[in-house]
Amino acid sequence: MKSALRNAYYFTLSRYSLNPNPSLLHIVPFISTFPSLPSVLSRNHPFRSPLCATLMTGGDSDSPQTSPSLEKQFEKFRVQLEDSGSLRERIRAVVLEIESATRLMQASLLLVHQSKPIPEVLQKANSQINVLKDLYNKLAEVVRECPGQYYRYHGDWRSETQMVVSLLAFMHWLETGNLLMHTEAEEKLGCIEQFGFCFRPGGLSCWCLFHVK
Amino acid sequence: MSTHSSLKDAFSSYADHLNALNEKRERIVKASRDVTMNSKKVIFQVHRISKANREEVLEKAEKDLAAVRDQHISRLVKELQGTDFWKLRRAYSPGVQEYVEAATFFKFCQTGTLLNLDEINASLLSLSDPSLEPLQINLLDYLLGLADLTGELMRLAIGRISDGEVEYSERICQFVRDIYRELTLLVPLMDDGSDMKTKMDTMLQSVVKIENACFSVRVRGSEYIPLLGSSDPSSFLVGVSDAEL
Repeated sequence: MKSALRNAYYFTLSRYSLNPNPSLLHIVPFISTFPSLPSVLSRNHPFRSPLCATLMTGGDSDSPQTSPSLEKQFEKFRVQLEDSGSLRERIRAVVLEIESATRLMQASLLLVHQSKPIPEVLQKANSQINVLKDLYNKLAEVVRECPGQYYRYHGDWRSETQMVVSLLAFMHWLETGNLLMHTEAEEKLGCIEQFGFCFRPGGLSCWCLFHVK
Repeated sequence: MSTHSSLKDAFSSYADHLNALNEKRERIVKASRDVTMNSKKVIFQVHRISKANREEVLEKAEKDLAAVRDQHISRLVKELQGTDFWKLRRAYSPGVQEYVEAATFFKFCQTGTLLNLDEINASLLSLSDPSLEPLQINLLDYLLGLADLTGELMRLAIGRISDGEVEYSERICQFVRDIYRELTLLVPLMDDGSDMKTKMDTMLQSVVKIENACFSVRVRGSEYIPLLGSSDPSSFLVGVSDAEL
């Protein structure tokens, strides 16, 4: 009997993948189908999700002793996490658009290396700046919904924004021979001041690469 | 170039900003390490619990936990304001997780219930000046700490069985099962859940170990001597005596 139970455990553990997913609940039928199980194990049905109801093959329908305040807390957590998940999705959607505008700028700037006249090259790239301005506004609106959590989602737009700043700096240098200053970059993008120092150092190193070329 | 000196100024202000940030981060990491170390001491203290010394052990643990708050978490409170909470989270998260583990472990041994996030945050409010933002543990760190709690509860359950407190271990079993069940619903929703996914693996093993141990002692009664199997802590066969292997 014991070796059968041990084999059941072994079997279920070996089926278990790294990601917890509802199929984990298959463990329950293995336990509840052993008729001679001691009462301590068959008395309680630890898993009660709707998925599990269809998986369980027998046993009593005793109510588990889960405390309601425990369930309430976790339900609250689930709602919070779902909200932050959907916020993150909205941020990613805007960032993808920022990325594609950036690619257009980058592609047109590459012409500089083919000795096209600078004003012509810049004109195309400049037209994307307004697009970016709008997108960053959109992004700022979304981020404003979760005050104080700017840095929670910051990683989702950090590298894209570094790229934007480096391109702007490059364009500024092509036009004026000067380094684009932090405040000037902010003006171009119409950013709220939060989009600040966090990305500045990265943008500079990208710019240096362009400069050498 | 006329812009040369303004360039220099700009860069030196960037350097100042970055240096200040790094120094703050250093201080936070140090405080977080102290929180971790002292929280672990609380956990060891609570593990000493038995029927005989329960009151005494819990009293000392409560004092030690308060000391962690007053002496070490308070240092975090000083450094973290406004956007710092999320900006510098990586620097203090391990300490906070360990503290959550210790506080929830203590609460379970004291009352058999789970310490809520709201409750734990309420206990931190007194650490800060009313004019400052209080340090409030965020949901992610709470859940990560909770995951570690189940490992300690597993050790506790096995230990209690050795002392013959089988019913207590069964209560621990039920509790850990509840936590595991609730967490499976939340893990896929968490920000960068890869840490949590690994912890869930370990948690499942803990649940199985406790179940196995409770089951074995029921079936074999007083003959059963649980082995903690410290040489192979991940073995699900922990608790099964050598005769079976």
